[in-house]
Amino acid sequence: MRMLLIDRRAWQEGLKRAAGQYGLIGPVKEKEFHSFRPLKPGEMPDLAFQNSRLSPKHVVYPQTEPMFAYTLDEAREDRHLLKEVRREIPPRAVVGIRPCDAKAFVLVRLNFDTPDVQDPYWLRAYEATTFIGLGCNAPCSSCFCTTAGCGPFHEEGLDLLLADLGEAFAAKVLTPKGEAFARTAGWTAEAPAGAQSAFQERARAAEGRITSFVQTDHLKSIPVNDLYNAPFWEEVSFSCINCGTCTYSCPTCWCFDIQDETRGKSGVRLRLWDSCMYPLFTLHGSGHNPRGTKLHRVRQRFMHKLKYFVEKYDRGIQCVGCGRCVRLCPVNIDIRRVCNMMNGFAVSGEACAIP
Amino acid sequence: MTSTTEILRETAARLLASGAVEMVIGFRQGTIPMMNEPCFVRKPAEAGLLVWDSHCGINLANYVTDRKEKKIGIVAKGCDSRNLVTHILENKIRREQLVVIGVPCRGMADKRKIAMKCPGEILRVHETETAITAEGEGFTRTFEKADVLQHNCSLCTHRNPVIHDELAGEPVEEQQGVDRYADVRAVEAMSPEQRWKYFEDLLAPCIRCYACRNACPLCYCPTCFVDESRPQWVGKGQDPVDVRTFHFLRAYHCAGRCTDCGACERACPVGINMRLFTKKLEKDCLELFGWEAGLSLEVRPALDHYRPNDPNDFIR
Amino acid sequence: MGIEPGRLQFSWISSAESTKFVTVAAQVTEAVRALGPNTRFIKPLAEVA
Repeated sequence: MRMLLIDRRAWQEGLKRAAGQYGLIGPVKEKEFHSFRPLKPGEMPDLAFQNSRLSPKHVVYPQTEPMFAYTLDEAREDRHLLKEVRREIPPRAVVGIRPCDAKAFVLVRLNFDTPDVQDPYWLRAYEATTFIGLGCNAPCSSCFCTTAGCGPFHEEGLDLLLADLGEAFAAKVLTPKGEAFARTAGWTAEAPAGAQSAFQERARAAEGRITSFVQTDHLKSIPVNDLYNAPFWEEVSFSCINCGTCTYSCPTCWCFDIQDETRGKSGVRLRLWDSCMYPLFTLHGSGHNPRGTKLHRVRQRFMHKLKYFVEKYDRGIQCVGCGRCVRLCPVNIDIRRVCNMMNGFAVSGEACAIP
Repeated sequence: MTSTTEILRETAARLLASGAVEMVIGFRQGTIPMMNEPCFVRKPAEAGLLVWDSHCGINLANYVTDRKEKKIGIVAKGCDSRNLVTHILENKIRREQLVVIGVPCRGMADKRKIAMKCPGEILRVHETETAITAEGEGFTRTFEKADVLQHNCSLCTHRNPVIHDELAGEPVEEQQGVDRYADVRAVEAMSPEQRWKYFEDLLAPCIRCYACRNACPLCYCPTCFVDESRPQWVGKGQDPVDVRTFHFLRAYHCAGRCTDCGACERACPVGINMRLFTKKLEKDCLELFGWEAGLSLEVRPALDHYRPNDPNDFIR
Repeated sequence: MGIEPGRLQFSWISSAESTKFVTVAAQVTEAVRALGPNTRFIKPLAEVA
C-alpha cells in the first residue's frame, strides 16, 4: 500500500488546492470544544484535539433533514403530493476524522444500506464524502477502541490515514477515493522508509497507550433472555435521567423519527434524530408504551448495542469505543462497566439462581 | 476528624440496619475523574459504597419523585434539601417517607473549569477541605476550591440543608453579601435586538438532548410539552425557533420553583448556561414577591398563593 | 426574550367592562400594527418546487 509524506507546507497548500474540488469539513474549536463543520475559505482544520466533543456523524446524517415537501393548496396541480427534497451533495472531504468515527460509519451503513433497502439520503451523503483520518497519537483515558473492534490507527472506513510525525504527516492511501484526493491536493512525495517505520511506530505506541478495555467474548453466546432478565438492570438504570446525551453524542446510534411540519398550506416531512432514551420513542398511538420505564429504555440501549446487534450482524458490538458517552453522561453511566457486567453474566447466571 | 463520607456510611448503615429506611440514595465513586454516580443501597453491608466529595453536584431530589417506598434515606446538600421541600409541597413525595441525611455543603467543583485550567487530560483528582489537585500526564495543578466552584455554588446562600433528620457534619457558615444577579442584570440592560442575538448565540450549540430538563428535579411532568404530539406544540428539530421555544418554556415552568442548584448547566453536554433564564425568573420572584423557593414547608409558593398586595403594575 | 416591547401586553378586563375591552383591543391592534410584521419566532419552511 502506498504511503505519502506530506510536510507542513504541502499540507496547507494541498488543502487549499483540494478546496477547489471538495467541500472541506474539519475540526474547529468553537467556544470550549472542537466540532466538525465546513471550513471557511482558507480556514485550516485545527488538529490540536483529542477528539471532537460530539461525533461527526451529522456530516452524513444531519440531526434535522428535510426529506419531502408538499402543498395543500387546492389551486395547485401538485397538491397533496410528497416531493423529494433533494440535497445536492458535491464531493467533500472530512479532514482529520478520528479512526473510531470513520469506523462508526461502516457500522451505521449496515442499517442504511441493506440488500433489500437503501436509504438514499444517507448513502448519497456517505458516498460523496472522502474520509481523511488522523491517527490518535494520544488517546483519552476513557477510550476503549482496541477492544471495541477499532483502534487509534484503525483503517476501516477511511480513504487516507495520516500519522502526525511532528514535522510532517505520513499518509497511508487506503482507497481509490483517497488516491484521488491526494492527487487533487498534489501530495505525491512517497514516504521514505524512515517515515514508514515512524508511522508504524506511532500506531504501535498509540495502541500501547490505551488503558481502558471491555470484554465482549461471551456476549454472543449468552442467551438473549438471560441478559434481558438479568438482575442488574435496576442498579444500572437507577441513576439514568433518560436524556439523549449518550445517543446523540454516539457515532453509531442511528435511530430517527419522521415528522411533518406544516405552515399554512405548505409543509415538509423531516427526518430527525431520535433516542431510545425518550419515552416518546416507543409510544404507541393507543397510548400504550411498551418501554414505559427507564429501566426498559436503559436496557434497550445496552441490549441493542451489545447483544441484538452482535447477534444480527456478527460484526462485533455496535460501539467503536470512542468514550464520548462515558465522558458526557451527566450521571456517569459507563458503558464499559455495563458491557463487562453483561459479558460476565453467563458464568454467574448459570452458577447461581437469581433471587 | 471524621470525614463526611465516613459519617454518611455510618448513618446509612445504622438507618438500614434498624429498619428506619428501606433504601438510602446517595453517591458512589464514579468511573472517571470528577464524576460520581447517584446510587441506592438497600443493605447495611453496602453502605461502604457511599462517598462524598466536591463532585456530588447532581441533585438527588430528582430520584425520589413519586417513589413508593415507605421510608427512603436521602443524602441532601443545601440545594437538594430545598428541592425536597419543593417536592413535598408539590406532592411528589411525602415528608414522612423521607429520612433526610443533610450534608452542609462547601460547594461543588466545576469540572469544566478545572479541565480548562489544565494543560492536558485530567487522570486523577484529589482534594482537601479547601483545595483540589488535578493530575495528568506531566502536570499537577492545585486550585483553591473557591476558584473552581460551579458558578451557582459560588453564589449560593443556602449551603446548609433546610430540612434534615440527620446531619453529616457541622453546619457551615453561609456566604454573606453575595451579588447573585450580576449576570441577569447585564442581560436586562441589553436592547431587545441585542438580547435576541445573545440568546441565539447562547443556544446555538443545543442538540435537544434534554439533559437540562431531565437533570432538573422540577421537571417531572408525565409528558413534557415538547413531547406532546396531540397537538404538537413545538417542532422537534434543530430550528433555532424550536430550540428557543423549548428553553424559554422550560424555564417558565420553573418560575418560583427553581433553587439554582445548577443541575441543568452541569448536565449540558455542550456547555450552555441555561441558568440565565431560570435565574431571571428567580430574581423576579425575589424582587416582586420576596420569594425564594424551597426554604420552608409552611409557606405556600409565590405562584400558588394570592395576596391582595401582589404587584400588578404590568397590567393596564 | 428579545421580543420588541409593545408586542406583549397585559390587561385585566371584567366581563362587565365591554367598552374597556373594545378600547384595549383597538389600542393593542394599533400598537402592534405600528411595529410591523413580527420577524421573531417565525420558522422558515422548505418551499415546494
